[in-house]
Amino acid sequence: MPTEPVVHLLPALAELPFREGYVRSIIYVSLYVSGTAVVLSTLFSIPAAIVMGFTDFPGKQVVKAIINTGMGFPSVVVGLLVLFAVSNQGPLGSLELVFTTEAMIMSQFVLATPPITAISLAAVTGVSDNVRDAARALGGTRLDVALVVIKEARYGIATAVLAGFGRAISEVGSVLIVGGNITSSSGISKTRTLTTAIQLEARQGRYETAMVLGGVLLALVLTVNAIVVRFGDGGAMNQ
Amino acid sequence: MIRLSNVSHAYDSETIVEELSISVEPGEVVTVIGPSGVGKTTLLRILALFTRPTDGTVELDGTSVWDVDEEERLALRRRIGMVFQDASLFDATVARNVEYGLRVRQPWRDRVRDALHSVVASNGTPEAVEQSLDVVGLSEKTDQSARSLSGGEAQRVSFARALAYDPTYLFLDEPTSDLDPRNTDVIEKAILEARDRGIGVVVATHDMHQAERIADRVGVLLGDGFTEVGPAEKVFEEPDDERTRKFVSGELVY
Repeated sequence: MPTEPVVHLLPALAELPFREGYVRSIIYVSLYVSGTAVVLSTLFSIPAAIVMGFTDFPGKQVVKAIINTGMGFPSVVVGLLVLFAVSNQGPLGSLELVFTTEAMIMSQFVLATPPITAISLAAVTGVSDNVRDAARALGGTRLDVALVVIKEARYGIATAVLAGFGRAISEVGSVLIVGGNITSSSGISKTRTLTTAIQLEARQGRYETAMVLGGVLLALVLTVNAIVVRFGDGGAMNQ
Repeated sequence: MIRLSNVSHAYDSETIVEELSISVEPGEVVTVIGPSGVGKTTLLRILALFTRPTDGTVELDGTSVWDVDEEERLALRRRIGMVFQDASLFDATVARNVEYGLRVRQPWRDRVRDALHSVVASNGTPEAVEQSLDVVGLSEKTDQSARSLSGGEAQRVSFARALAYDPTYLFLDEPTSDLDPRNTDVIEKAILEARDRGIGVVVATHDMHQAERIADRVGVLLGDGFTEVGPAEKVFEEPDDERTRKFVSGELVY
């Protein structure tokens, strides 16, 4: 019977541990950590890209080189550095952030900021000087000109934000180190994300659960990428 | 009146324009003619308060514009419109483009309110926007995307965009250099209409016939400065300066 393998799998699917909202809490922690990190990173990155796109200052090329290098930062190294920073002996030790979602947000902020800044900067510098001149000639202040540039670069900036989110949500090294992959005694995720949960479930041989979580993560990343592609097309169609 | 007195400008120690003096009154069309690369664009950018000249003074109704603070200069700048050779429209509808100058002049409270309102319903098109688009014959394109316009239409929208907030002075840099005769005719008529509204218009052009068609006064910019500034008939018919005479009669003098 060709359907036999599928039928054989059904009991296994029915027995998956969706107990007490385990998967739901993991999805929530993942989205909360990555979403917050990306929002904070965006609030920092877009003004930074605007300033760098608009002004010349000594060391600008060095800053650009650091940002570009930052896009390739190994996430485990970032996790390690954030762990040192928040550990008892670290500069942020008094805040007691080890194994908290706040520490995870910090590490994902560090990871998401370089790609968001670099892609936004490319989008902002791609806006023609003529458009800036036009905004100024029509009576715009510096802030008005900056807003026009953001608006003209909106497809590129949206791509940057979504790319940053994609990097954050699919990253495993740093959240494992600073978050500790913890659940409460009732099995609800405290600092367990989709990626760290998959790593744990696979290591413990619960492949079905790992597969389901992998499917959820894949669906989330695909959704984000679909939005990126759509925005990209939007930009291209309007060129 | 906007007046340049002995204005010189240099980029990286290379002199672009030297010792220029010219004044423009509201309600007149002054064309600046001269070959490419002679500094016409630099002159317009100085007039539009975009570029601070390295030497000389720029006065608007008696105020030396580079001796006042930035806020006051912004207020002066907002009495001026400038249309560039490149239409440089924003990626938005024609109406949003033409409305821009009006929008930036509103208090932030009104701008935020309008932006929020536009999410749920249309704010309508301001009358000044419709009138300006009417002047350039594009009132039927109000809701069209600026990206979908032809080059000539885009340049006409760029003109309407500067006209919408009713400036006292309007500076146009080669506004018709890339346009076909029909679009050129529309822009020239719009320039004359702007003049009739009391706007002082300066048009930089290398098209001498256009200068003859629209100018009340003409400034001839050759080499290092104005060789002649005066009423159009005089400059074209009996110029005082020998180089001007050669230039307007079509001889190469540069």
